[in-house]
Amino acid sequence: MIISSQKKFKELLRALKERNIFIIGCGKCATKLHVGGEPEVLEMRKKLTKAGKNIVGWMVMSSACNISSWDDVLAKNPEIGKSEALLVMSCGGGVSLISSLSERQVYPALDTESLGGVRLEDTMKELCGMCGECTVWEFGGICPVSQCPKGLLNGPCGGAMEGKCEVDERTCAWDEIYERQKKLGKLEYLGIVQEPKNHSKKKRRQAV
Amino acid sequence: MSFESKLNKGKFVVTAEISPPKGTDTGDLLKDASMIKDFADAINVTDNQRAIMRMSPVAACSILESKGFETIMHLTCRDRNRLALQSELLGAYALGIKNILVMSGDHPVKGDHEGAKPVYDMDSVQLLGMVQKLNSGFDFSGNRLDGSTDFCAGAVTNIELNEIALMKLEKKISQGVRFIQTQAVFDIEKFSVFLDKIKDTGISKSWIIAGIIPLKSEKSALFLNKNIAGIKVPENIIDRMKNARDPEMKGMEIAAGLIKELHGMCGGVHIMPIGNHEKTKNILEMAGII
Ligand code: SF4
Ligand code: SF4
Repeated sequence: MIISSQKKFKELLRALKERNIFIIGCGKCATKLHVGGEPEVLEMRKKLTKAGKNIVGWMVMSSACNISSWDDVLAKNPEIGKSEALLVMSCGGGVSLISSLSERQVYPALDTESLGGVRLEDTMKELCGMCGECTVWEFGGICPVSQCPKGLLNGPCGGAMEGKCEVDERTCAWDEIYERQKKLGKLEYLGIVQEPKNHSKKKRRQAV
Repeated sequence: MSFESKLNKGKFVVTAEISPPKGTDTGDLLKDASMIKDFADAINVTDNQRAIMRMSPVAACSILESKGFETIMHLTCRDRNRLALQSELLGAYALGIKNILVMSGDHPVKGDHEGAKPVYDMDSVQLLGMVQKLNSGFDFSGNRLDGSTDFCAGAVTNIELNEIALMKLEKKISQGVRFIQTQAVFDIEKFSVFLDKIKDTGISKSWIIAGIIPLKSEKSALFLNKNIAGIKVPENIIDRMKNARDPEMKGMEIAAGLIKELHGMCGGVHIMPIGNHEKTKNILEMAGII
């Protein structure tokens, strides 16, 4: 799941120059995380109207990052034609896709943060850093690329205090990795001298 | 005799830490260095320590080397990718810098450029491995160098090690580390537990250089405990600082006492003053080292 959060409304208004706006929500991650589903789209409509915008219409796509026909979208939502801009309440993937298909001014309503998930009730952020060469089993399924703010592959830095990461209030990822591997009886993996990641696997412009 | 030969010959070495200037004025840098000239076996020069931007350690080391000081250049993984790290190392070596101290480096959010991109293309273990390659005449990708390096590379460690931290230290040692500088020691008992723990890692005690921070006041002790990872000033020392009529003198006494006890236990001491090195000579004299 893509983890994103809503932008500050003030910030959003500053960018949103146009008056006639069509709002698009997303039925997948943004709905699950309560940042871009139907209730949030309706709330956004209310707030924007109050701020003097004319909301010409709205919709929640089943998933903003998977659109098979823009013509279908237009046929079902002719109000899009009356809009000067689209406000998309999905991750950056959906925003980019809709920008390329709609050929219109598109604004993101969310900030896309990381690839995570929802475990039972908890939103888990930064579960995977999308490095392009997954070796997460060597770390007991806790990925240091994304869970350690320094992405350290060979063990912890010396910066943790009382088990808390140097950077934020979270437990040091390396303590978690150690505990997990100990439980799994796989501590020998942590003795491997890990080579640096091959960043050419994560090209910025890979062919589709 | 070089810092490395002294270590290898078992001399109890003294290293001292200096930060490059925040700016282009090297006056204080040279003044600080001149205060330890007679007895420091090498001067550690920090690399944007605590993620606070300062002059490049290559430049600062080079300036010090040109004045006859031997330096230990700190090199963090925070600011440079593998290309930049290697070119920095080649440049440093060509400028006469023989010793380096490798570490991950404090995260940018801890410093004065919070929004800087944290690089960490490599970690300290990988960087040490890369230094070994440069020493053997090849770059990280395996291309032959036109003139190799011969760095004496060191690593850092905290004194209190849990198992995963010990595993990491073992990995560093496996990558050709020739000396280890520790975070500040305030408790000799804990330091000997540490020495015991690393007994089997293959590193000799004479390669361990114990960190010393002379306290200035009770407040400075509390500050270290609260803000610096890996440092624990014990209660009895805090009390001694609190009750001292002249806290700075008390801090010097405590540091000298620690150094006295460390003499014979390990390979040397590394002095990291709060402020400059004005009192460093006194402390070492009180400890009977010089
Ligand atoms: S190693 Fe980590 S960042 Fe890379 S693909 Fe696996 S989980 Fe994602
Ligand atoms: S404290 Fe742990 S999680 Fe935080 S940067 Fe250091 S190693 Fe990574």
